Amino acid sequence: MVIVAIPSSGEGGLNETMSQRFGRCASFTLVTIEDKTIKEVKGVPNSASNSMGGAGIQAAQIIGNNGAREVIVGFLGPNAVESLKAMNLKVLQAPNQQFTVKEVVDLYLKGELQELDSANVGAHHGMGGGMGMGGGRGMGGGRGRQF
Amino acid sequence: MSKRPKVITITGGKGGTGKTLCAVNIATMFKNEGKNVLLIDGDVENPNTYLLFGGTLEDKKEVPFFKPTILQDKCTKCGLCAENCATHALLHIKDGFPIPILSVCSGCKLCYKICPSGAIEADHKIIGWKYQSRVNHISLLIGELKPSEARSAAVVASLLQDLDNIFKKNPDKYDVVILDTAPGAHCDVELLIEKSNLVIPVTEPTKFGHLDLLRIIELIELLNKPYKAIVNRSSLLGYRDQFLKELSENSIEILGDIPLDDDVVKSYCQGTPLMDSEGEFNKSGEAYKAFHIIFQNLKNWMNEESNNGE
Repeated sequence: MVIVAIPSSGEGGLNETMSQRFGRCASFTLVTIEDKTIKEVKGVPNSASNSMGGAGIQAAQIIGNNGAREVIVGFLGPNAVESLKAMNLKVLQAPNQQFTVKEVVDLYLKGELQELDSANVGAHHGMGGGMGMGGGRGMGGGRGRQF
Repeated sequence: MSKRPKVITITGGKGGTGKTLCAVNIATMFKNEGKNVLLIDGDVENPNTYLLFGGTLEDKKEVPFFKPTILQDKCTKCGLCAENCATHALLHIKDGFPIPILSVCSGCKLCYKICPSGAIEADHKIIGWKYQSRVNHISLLIGELKPSEARSAAVVASLLQDLDNIFKKNPDKYDVVILDTAPGAHCDVELLIEKSNLVIPVTEPTKFGHLDLLRIIELIELLNKPYKAIVNRSSLLGYRDQFLKELSENSIEILGDIPLDDDVVKSYCQGTPLMDSEGEFNKSGEAYKAFHIIFQNLKNWMNEESNNGE
């Protein structure tokens, strides 16, 4: 049995859209998988979505505390990568297109997702993008300076 | 009445306007008058004042920065540290040890202070270096940020800590302290301006120079410090008069302007300050004369300010 976390829109669930953003998605859908079938689906709100900074770290904490061992992502910033690695989570890359959570879980079950081991966007990438629908893509930036 | 030396900060918003040129030559003119000068290079991402003196980096000291280390034999995994970390630099999964994410740690040490079981050790990492040397009868204190580190303000704060120690232990040691800042209006620049009695933003007659001057002045006014600008390369393509008029329309006072002069370039190539009394520069050259006027205006201004202050 494994719990896979998928950043999602709305309150989470198989029919919601997968969010391309990790730290600043609206919710996480946690899918429990056993014997290649979906056993349980749970949506949890992402309380880090409007955080000033460190959203990736807090989001990693939320999925960790919900027992996730694997996570499927669109875009992933450097803090999130550091956190997920420190937690020893397996990170899988979803293709850059619009999916429902169900569709992306199907790709996962077919073994079509690649493992990701480094950040694919800069810090603060997902800030200020549109709500849901994979908004906020394309503009990198953020210098990681904290003072 | 404090005997503390006057602190003059040379800044300017835009990069490459001649901040270091002015800092080095103002320091040199004080030295020429027999004053004991301390010059602090607070441009820690590109520390290079020493090169204009033909000096070298000496007496290297490390700048440490707090790093939380979790002592697993003491940690009860309660998560209090992670809950209270303002920058979310501690990652805590229930029943696990907290994991420090150092890139976002602000170094506040709150975790270390509040841990109920003393399980966080105040360890440190090196984020840069400080150097001290004396060239040409001027004392230099230089900060350098380690490449890849982000906290330039922490290195600047460490330089200013050294300055405070000098003020505390030996307030008579220097007659004047010159602070040279990085370009921009960031927190590292802010720390230096905050420490000063007088601020000199250096600009140039270009659109960029004008914009960045207004930005740095906004910061200087926010910190409530008196300032007067220097316009470097003022003869650039004939924009001098128009530029000076714009400054005066904005009620920006200037200490003087420095026209283009090959002697300035020569001093950069040689590593000898233009105003060094032992230098071989043309004493009736444009830049030489300009610096003399600037220095005279600066001394008058210092007198006015100290009369106002007492």
